[in-house]
Amino acid sequence: MKAVSALGRVYLAALFLFIFAPIAASFVFSFNSDRFPTLPLGHFTTEWYARAFSRPEVWEAIRNSLIVAAATSVLSTFIGFATAYTDFRYGFRFKQAYLALALLPPTLPLVILGLAMLAWLSQVGLSGTLAGIIIAHVVLATPFAMAICRLRLNQIDPSLEAAAWNLGAGQWMAMRHVILPFCAPAILSALCLTAAVSFDEFVVAWFVSGLNRTVPVMILEILQGNVDPQINAIGTVVFLTSMTLVIAAQVLIFRKRRHE
Amino acid sequence: MRTSRPLDVYRLVWRLPLLVWQGAFFVVPLAFLAAMTFWLVQNYRMEPAFVLTNWQKTLGRSVFWDAYWLTLGRALLAGVLASVVAFPASYTLAFRMGDSARRFALMCLVVPFFTSFLVRAYAWQVILAEGGPVNAALGTIGLGPFTMLNSGFGAMVGYLTLVLPLVVIFQTWSLAAIDRSLIEAAGNLGASPGRVLVSVILPAARTGLVLGALFAFIMTFGDFVSPFYLGGSKPPTLTILIIDTTKSGQQWPRAAVVALMMIATLFAVAAAALRAAYGGRR
Amino acid sequence: MMTESRLHLTRRRLLQGAASVALATPMLNRAWAQEPTQINMLAWYGHAEPDIVGEFEAANNVKFVPKYYAGGDNMLALISQSPPGTYDLILSDAEFVQQLNAAGYIEQMDPSLYPFDDFFPEFQKFPGHWTGDQLWSVMVRYGLLGVSYNTDALTREEAMSYNAYWNPKVTGKVGHFDWHLPNLGQISLLNGNKSPSPFDIDAAAWGALQEKTLSLKPQVGGYFDYGGTFSSLKNGEMLAMVGIGDWITGVLAKDGAKVDSVIPEEGGIQWTESYSIGKGTSKTEIVNKFITYMLSPAGQVKSIQMAAYPGLSPTLSGWTAIQEANPAEAKRSGLIVGADNDPIKMYREGRIFYRDTPKQQTLEDWNDFWSEYKSA
Repeated sequence: MKAVSALGRVYLAALFLFIFAPIAASFVFSFNSDRFPTLPLGHFTTEWYARAFSRPEVWEAIRNSLIVAAATSVLSTFIGFATAYTDFRYGFRFKQAYLALALLPPTLPLVILGLAMLAWLSQVGLSGTLAGIIIAHVVLATPFAMAICRLRLNQIDPSLEAAAWNLGAGQWMAMRHVILPFCAPAILSALCLTAAVSFDEFVVAWFVSGLNRTVPVMILEILQGNVDPQINAIGTVVFLTSMTLVIAAQVLIFRKRRHE
Repeated sequence: MRTSRPLDVYRLVWRLPLLVWQGAFFVVPLAFLAAMTFWLVQNYRMEPAFVLTNWQKTLGRSVFWDAYWLTLGRALLAGVLASVVAFPASYTLAFRMGDSARRFALMCLVVPFFTSFLVRAYAWQVILAEGGPVNAALGTIGLGPFTMLNSGFGAMVGYLTLVLPLVVIFQTWSLAAIDRSLIEAAGNLGASPGRVLVSVILPAARTGLVLGALFAFIMTFGDFVSPFYLGGSKPPTLTILIIDTTKSGQQWPRAAVVALMMIATLFAVAAAALRAAYGGRR
Repeated sequence: MMTESRLHLTRRRLLQGAASVALATPMLNRAWAQEPTQINMLAWYGHAEPDIVGEFEAANNVKFVPKYYAGGDNMLALISQSPPGTYDLILSDAEFVQQLNAAGYIEQMDPSLYPFDDFFPEFQKFPGHWTGDQLWSVMVRYGLLGVSYNTDALTREEAMSYNAYWNPKVTGKVGHFDWHLPNLGQISLLNGNKSPSPFDIDAAAWGALQEKTLSLKPQVGGYFDYGGTFSSLKNGEMLAMVGIGDWITGVLAKDGAKVDSVIPEEGGIQWTESYSIGKGTSKTEIVNKFITYMLSPAGQVKSIQMAAYPGLSPTLSGWTAIQEANPAEAKRSGLIVGADNDPIKMYREGRIFYRDTPKQQTLEDWNDFWSEYKSA
């Protein structure tokens, strides 16, 4: 049995190696001098970072990404919370369809979503604008926000809200003083997570973006254009940004749990 | 507790945002996509019409069906392959590791979702290249060089990179939730480990196993990065077909036909998988 | 050997990096002073990069914002998806100017603004750019497509015919630049369709072209966009590439890759890039200033040596200027009247054919066949 267990661990390690090889490689290549790296590696350099971040359009893309991510996170967290609360509190006809609408978007291939979005947005004159990207990202990110908030609401005692009403608080007051404080960590974590989803999304953004590139679209364009390890440099920075957001989201959830 | 007065503003404030947003920006675009399949393209401009040409032209061509069966086959293969490859790892995680180690491993598996898949595909492109690190390493023991890129193999490496983390997570969850006493009981009754696996563990973990495979299928089916950047578009998948079609001559209506066929296929497969996951239990 | 070229590469890159920092700095400083005028440019990759537009941007307080495409069909699709007036300046393939014009995407231009006297006679009235005396587009650069190959895999002699793609030495290693026109044009030349043009072929020749192309399938290693074409040739993943020419291998060779392009016996195809002014733009004046600048000797020297991909000059003064500024490059690309590889001489000898849209079939026919071929 011990041997089986050890074998299992080796297998697990191999699988993790496969999953993380490209991430680690990208990190290593971003500091490696070769444009087409092989073994042995070239020498250490920060040249790709210097080149990537000396380009004004990269900063422009970062600015666009930040605007889109911020707007997406606020909007989709609000919609996600509202939907989770509706599901938590109300029963109604067609609720199944309502929930399906809430959870369906991420299962649709992004290429299709991008196609539909661009076709529709160019009909209403929003294609090629940051607003267009935000609209699409909110569609994509809302289900994640809804899931997080819904999980948190699961832990609330439904009688708590009712008790507040009995004590004379109106619905709005109960929401403000009971539900929202209880959900605060979930809301914060949804804000981070949806921002990360948006910050990393490139397919729909590529279809919709026009002249307003976001960082991942920029990466795609380097891959279609003058392929070089700047991709790794920009990718590493995007990765660190997203991870910061995700870890922040995790910490917020866990810290709150420990308090209880 | 459930209020339903006429015009309850409070209730509407929470219920409407989703309906408005996903209605206007998810349902309507998809409906528009469907309507567009009947439009005409003239001089690179789309014109509203009701013609069946796009359906006939798309479904009547072998290009579409070649890509369709290829994509479907690859996605099914990726679903099965990912499930098989992930299982021993998930098993180890669920039964052979402590709670905290497992939680840490699962948290690590979330990390890849937040790295750009493009960047990972590009890294594979470099790693697997003819003159790349893998072939260089194999060369030192006198093997290779092997052609790994621009092939079905390259694309599959991409697919697995994309889906394995999620499959492991699903499988581990469902395996870890199995009642241990069931397994012990089976063991005490003299069942061999293999027998326990087949008659106790697999049925009990069915939901997670099927869902993992389903998500692997869905993600592979809709991915264009792996077949394009690692598979060399050789041959093109449905996603590549969509992108090619939009690029060339503004044939959006035909791209929309391909998209609708994909959606229909996804629904059919998802429905079958969900039945396999949840149905017939009792 | 390897390390040497790597070092060389690195030094070059460092210099480029430093140069782009230097170019970027005044731009950032200026942003504080006065917001530069934004010029939206739709173009092939590289046309709005600092090596081309940097100086003009600095001198005129403008900022180019590019949208890059690959292939004329792709360009038309992008324009039609954007609101009118989105693009101020459009760099298109010459053979698509007519379609741009027919669809009403471009403004008429004033011939008196451009140095047509300086153009080689062949290019003064480029097909499709004029309707009568009305001018719609101005050619700025061009280049030749032939057989591009890895010099370790094939000899120059072997590459001197499009049959090289069928050579067993490159089985599984023949790549396609993923756009039907240049690929099918080359195979059409191999089939002997020269008169009047490899793109003007009747039904029988079109059938034969399809058959010949399909016979190449077992040799093929992949289909690539601009970036993929680049890296797959550079890292040896592909040993020959159909549908390209010096515009790719020229850059790679400078980087030390063992690749070259030749114009084979069957003849070569000319790609041509022209500027048009986007319909509804409010920036006609500055756009015209930029076009004039690019047609000046200084602009042509930049265009000839463009970092993304080199191009040839349609003006005599451009040739003179590059001979002075970079004699090696002038010699390499044949911008010396009477040289062996003088493109105008080759054209006059009947060895060069303008890339064109299909004359007797529709673009859709060619495109449909191309996608069939890819999935065959």
